[in-house]
Amino acid sequence: MSSVSEGLAVSRRSREWTRTTLVFAALLALFFVSLLVSICAGRFGVPVGRALALVWQGATDPSRPLTAMDERIVLLVRAPRVLLAAMAGAGLAVCGAALQGVFRNPLVSPDILGISQGAAFGGALAIMLGIWGLPLIAMVFLTGMAALVAVGFLARVDGRTETVTVILSGLVVSSMFAAVVSLLQFVADPESSLPAIVYWLMGSFASATWERTLIAAPGLLIGAALLWSLRFRLNILSLEEAEAKSLGAKTERERWLVFGLVAVIVGSQVAVSGIVGWIGIVIPHAARLLVGHDHRVMLPASIVLGATFTIIIDTLARTATAAEIPLGVITALVGAPIFAVLLRRHYRERSSR
Amino acid sequence: MTSRLPATMTHVRKALVGLALCAAFAVHPVLAEEIVFKDQTGRELRLAKPAERVVSIVIPMASTLIALDGGTSKLVGMNPTAKSAITQGILGKIFPQARDIASDVTSPSFVPNVEALAAVNPDLVVQWGSEGEDKVAPLVNAGLNTMLILYGTEELTRDYMTMAAKAIGRPERIGQLVDWRDSVQKEIAAKVAAIPEDKKPRVLYLGRALTDLRASGTKGNYTEWSVELAGGRNAAAELAGTVSINKEQIATWNPDVILLNAFEADLDPNWVYNDPIVSLTNAARNHKVYKLPLGGYRWDPPSQESPLSWMWMANLLHPEIFHYDLRAQMKQAYKTLYNYDLADADIDGILWVAKQGDATDYQQFKTR
Repeated sequence: MSSVSEGLAVSRRSREWTRTTLVFAALLALFFVSLLVSICAGRFGVPVGRALALVWQGATDPSRPLTAMDERIVLLVRAPRVLLAAMAGAGLAVCGAALQGVFRNPLVSPDILGISQGAAFGGALAIMLGIWGLPLIAMVFLTGMAALVAVGFLARVDGRTETVTVILSGLVVSSMFAAVVSLLQFVADPESSLPAIVYWLMGSFASATWERTLIAAPGLLIGAALLWSLRFRLNILSLEEAEAKSLGAKTERERWLVFGLVAVIVGSQVAVSGIVGWIGIVIPHAARLLVGHDHRVMLPASIVLGATFTIIIDTLARTATAAEIPLGVITALVGAPIFAVLLRRHYRERSSR
Repeated sequence: MTSRLPATMTHVRKALVGLALCAAFAVHPVLAEEIVFKDQTGRELRLAKPAERVVSIVIPMASTLIALDGGTSKLVGMNPTAKSAITQGILGKIFPQARDIASDVTSPSFVPNVEALAAVNPDLVVQWGSEGEDKVAPLVNAGLNTMLILYGTEELTRDYMTMAAKAIGRPERIGQLVDWRDSVQKEIAAKVAAIPEDKKPRVLYLGRALTDLRASGTKGNYTEWSVELAGGRNAAAELAGTVSINKEQIATWNPDVILLNAFEADLDPNWVYNDPIVSLTNAARNHKVYKLPLGGYRWDPPSQESPLSWMWMANLLHPEIFHYDLRAQMKQAYKTLYNYDLADADIDGILWVAKQGDATDYQQFKTR
């Protein structure tokens, strides 16, 4: 009798594994297809075969001088932009997934800790002061981290921090920085720095170059990898506080470790592409729906799905019309309805349980 | 700031009482001078006498007022952005006293500071009519004579310039300036009419380039309209309004000429030549990349110097047809507008000869 039920459990588990494997295979296939389509699509007509040949050449012989327009378009404009979009999307999605776990709250997104607004302040200030390039990126990163540190100090009462105070402190710091950004916009020169600030705040991958992509890459990749390495910890942190502690977790220290990694990822992303909303909140939900709540599979699923989603959104933004469509507009237009549907399904499932 | 207000208000009140007394005892000709007109949003304005203390919240209007009056004495307040353009450009050299004019009367984005405005005691304030009621109401509520103007076309520009000239009691100045605009415009248009469409170069004007890349469709955009006047075709004609574009789109349009805005101080043709994509366009290959000059005001938006901007463009787009002696025209215009004798070095600075003197067809603008 017992051997029969054990056999059933094993077969159910193996069925689950097959399902998860299939989901991942499909997600990865979708990712590679969107990557290829995105490289081949654009306002400048490059035949698909030629575009793929160029990518192959670029990958096998990267030092070859690029002289023709189509070569430069594919290898210097599209390739870094698609890669940056993929990495940024993956980073934001994994941040959202981790934070939703830590806060045990499905509405949390990377904006909640004030990091995005802090980073936005750094960028707006840099633009006002006429600082561009690497120093701008450094400033964005530093103010993003500063926001997190401020949240940390605010939330720490009598030597310990409660989850709810972290969320509230994040809100406070976020509104503070948002107000300062508005102030900067108020005093900015309407014919030079104001449009630059507004554009940058809206979020875009349009200015992606290899240089920017490579600057953002370490933060995004290492941050995401380290978050993934915390997948077991995240499973524990997403339990009730007392339960997590009884399992031996140093909840507070581990939580701040997660926040620090999130700041690294979001800071790197905002520095090169401005504030991109919705991805960090929608993608983890979709991933959870596909592979369940276990962070060991949910984090990688978020990463692949976030990358794919962002590539698709950005391809739409740059190809749909002669004008660049602001990224935030599309992420919100696509993200909000998806989120609404996911939420409804989520609660229906819960109530039917 | 607040402590100064009551004093200012008493001051205003005293002035008003004084004015009323003057009016009561004045002989009729003073009353007959009353100036009545409708601004571009259709509001009626009544000025007992020509405005003597004018504040321009609108950026280009500051330099236009100086040109209309032939001096800075009537301009008592302006936009900080207008002031920076004046102090950094040639107008600061022509009128050093412009450096002392108040610029705290408005934020750069046209939000008026009513207390600072009251402090300079203006009898006329010029404001945009298209920036929303919130930026107008404080002026009207403070009892300031507010003239609202609109942006976009040559007709609107002539109209508001005429209105401003009338309001400051210099109607005799405007006839000459409008005639000049009219004759240059007609002269260029007549010659351009004979140019077949396929002989017109496709011109891309980048309103922004350093962070955001911005281009505009032709409708309602003055610079693009100027390009068409001067015998070019707007390469970005398919756009509606002013929008962000990407470099791939520029490659697709492959413009014959690229015009860079005068707003971004750090922008010069090297931006195009150093860019891997834009440097492969026809414009860059043929060295036809030009930054718009910065004279009494930037030459991209409408201003008192627009005809010079059209001549510059026409000479560059069709050097075989247009042969304006731009340097001579500039000297003449600056004499009329600002009563200033332009030195050759001034002209080189305005036209960015040091930055783009080697561009195709730019030789014609150098001293001979």
